[in-house]
Amino acid sequence: MKRFTLSLLLIIVILGILAGCVSEDGGSSNEDSGSDGNSDNEGEASSETSSDEELSIAVVPKLVGIPYFNASETGAEKAGEELGVNVQYTGPTEADASQQVQKIENLISQGVDTIAVAPNDPASVDPVLKKAKDQGIHVMDWDTPANEVDLSVKQVDDEEFGRHMAKKLVEAMGTEEGNIAILTGGLAAANLNAWIDAAKAELDENYPDVEIVTEKIPTDEKQQVAYQKTLDLIKSYPDLDGVLAVSTPAPLGAAQAVQEEGLQEEVSVVGSALPTDSQPYLEDGSLDTAVLWNPEDLGYLTVALGKMLAEGKMPEDGQEIEGIGQISVKDDGKTVIMGPPQDYTKENAGDFDF
Amino acid sequence: MKSLLRQKEFSIFAIIVVISIILSIVSPAFLTIGNLLDVVEGNVVMGILAIGMTLIIITSDIDVSVAAITTAVAVSVGALFSYLPDSWISLAIIFLIAPVIGLLIGSVNGLLVSKIQIPAIVVTLGTLNIINGLVLYFTNGRYLNSTNFPKSFLSFSNVEIFGIPILIFILVFVAILTWYILKHTFIGRSVMAIGGNQQSSIRVGINYQKVKLFVFAYMGFLCGIAAIAQTAYTKAVDPNGLLGLELTVIAAVVLGGTNIHGGRGTIHGTLLGVLLLALIQNGMILARIDTFWQNVVTGAIIVFAVSYDHISYKRQQEKLAKIEVA
Repeated sequence: MKRFTLSLLLIIVILGILAGCVSEDGGSSNEDSGSDGNSDNEGEASSETSSDEELSIAVVPKLVGIPYFNASETGAEKAGEELGVNVQYTGPTEADASQQVQKIENLISQGVDTIAVAPNDPASVDPVLKKAKDQGIHVMDWDTPANEVDLSVKQVDDEEFGRHMAKKLVEAMGTEEGNIAILTGGLAAANLNAWIDAAKAELDENYPDVEIVTEKIPTDEKQQVAYQKTLDLIKSYPDLDGVLAVSTPAPLGAAQAVQEEGLQEEVSVVGSALPTDSQPYLEDGSLDTAVLWNPEDLGYLTVALGKMLAEGKMPEDGQEIEGIGQISVKDDGKTVIMGPPQDYTKENAGDFDF
Repeated sequence: MKSLLRQKEFSIFAIIVVISIILSIVSPAFLTIGNLLDVVEGNVVMGILAIGMTLIIITSDIDVSVAAITTAVAVSVGALFSYLPDSWISLAIIFLIAPVIGLLIGSVNGLLVSKIQIPAIVVTLGTLNIINGLVLYFTNGRYLNSTNFPKSFLSFSNVEIFGIPILIFILVFVAILTWYILKHTFIGRSVMAIGGNQQSSIRVGINYQKVKLFVFAYMGFLCGIAAIAQTAYTKAVDPNGLLGLELTVIAAVVLGGTNIHGGRGTIHGTLLGVLLLALIQNGMILARIDTFWQNVVTGAIIVFAVSYDHISYKRQQEKLAKIEVA
């Protein structure tokens, strides 16, 4: 019996260690193993020199392991290869501010050249970004703005994006009067709120006969919650014409409800979603248009601009970035907008692999 | 009638009736068969998990890894889907494999709790993290949509019998099975006994370790069934879709009158607890309550329900005490 207990304990300990390794691997980027491979080939001495020559750029997402940030990881690594910089893509395993701060602390002690962060909570990364700056590390944000940064990369202009989604929804409804509802990921998400406000402004100004039936409805970033809420909405407002769903799982849930109720013709759904996820709903018209930007490009652009920053250059308005296109820089001189929003429809959704 | 009124579950039932009356006055869409079926179908996963959790809480333990185990099974099933043919055999395979995977993970929890006697909250927190880490590592968070699902599984998830979705029958089956075990089998009676008084139950010869192993393994088994229900319901596998569900499950069980210190709890009480939470969620939009007030209303109803329940229980205990004195 004792032996059994002992062996079981041993197994648990081993399992625990293994799990530790695994989650470390999952947490840090593949780039680590890539650079390890290189240094093996070149011998140990050269790994030191290469870190002197090659700029190293750290990209910190809100969390690792969701499709969106996986796509931007692909883009960031591609940029690393093409531009000859060392890219570290590492972030917390859940969207947690304090875990993210720890990751940044680690990067500071590694002495990278540039840190690009998509903060879970802008205020909580302030002190650690300041510390990075004091040590001569260039600091920028991407995806979501932070306060203490030299450069800010935005995927789209929030105002433009919100207005664009509203326009697409009215287009899908085929009428400039009707009732719509708005689903959101969470009530506290600043970027989602900015989009919704812009969408509302667009409707107010240009489509005064489109009425929003209720306050925005939170869906906890979960498809099944969005699905249930949409079912409830359809029952509660039988004359509903459209649903605007922001946050990536919400349009899928809303479209699933429309699909199962067979209301493709009556209720239009437009929202921010990734093309592969939304394909089954785009095909039968339960989801009319998914609007987003290209997350791969965003990762690529972040690394490209991070490299410029490390070399002491700043991007200019209208500058052409290879592989991305023309970027625009806002009047403050440090906010970069990647480009216009991208529409994913029945016709083009199959062409993307994220 | 009187014995019915005196039952502990009656208070929560009364609250459900009151809420239903209010909702059907406020919204004509509430008291329709379609809506009620939607509500039940949407909470089948929570119901199945809550039933298993009831057994665990009766033995005065807790399992916080239920959502993680369900996700693990769902992800495994999703990985299996691309190898399965479009025939009914794949359905049989899934119904065979999913509960077994769940059972195995649950048994690991059970062994650690019963043989080594590590507190269940520590064990299940550990398995929760191990599973979440592994799931993230293997799937990289990738969402699986229904394009790879076998057609037989998709048509299964749309089956209705007498207009009632198949998922609801699964919940009913699980509920009756668990009720029977708890009421009419030796192991089920042992579960109640251990929760009531651990020392005495061991003295009368109940095998403590066996019972603990059973409740956690059975929980795992139900997680496997819940994973099938979840996959059929969303027609997708989302590795992040159930994050945090364990807390709602525990809340439903406690709302349903199960004593968090063990020894007391019923299946129908738990189902009522799930139904109450489900109706509150459903009613918010139907009653057109403003988004920002929804959390306030939800919280208020839960606090009210639990205090009402507790007060009536206390009164009953006092009455019992008086009788003893007399």
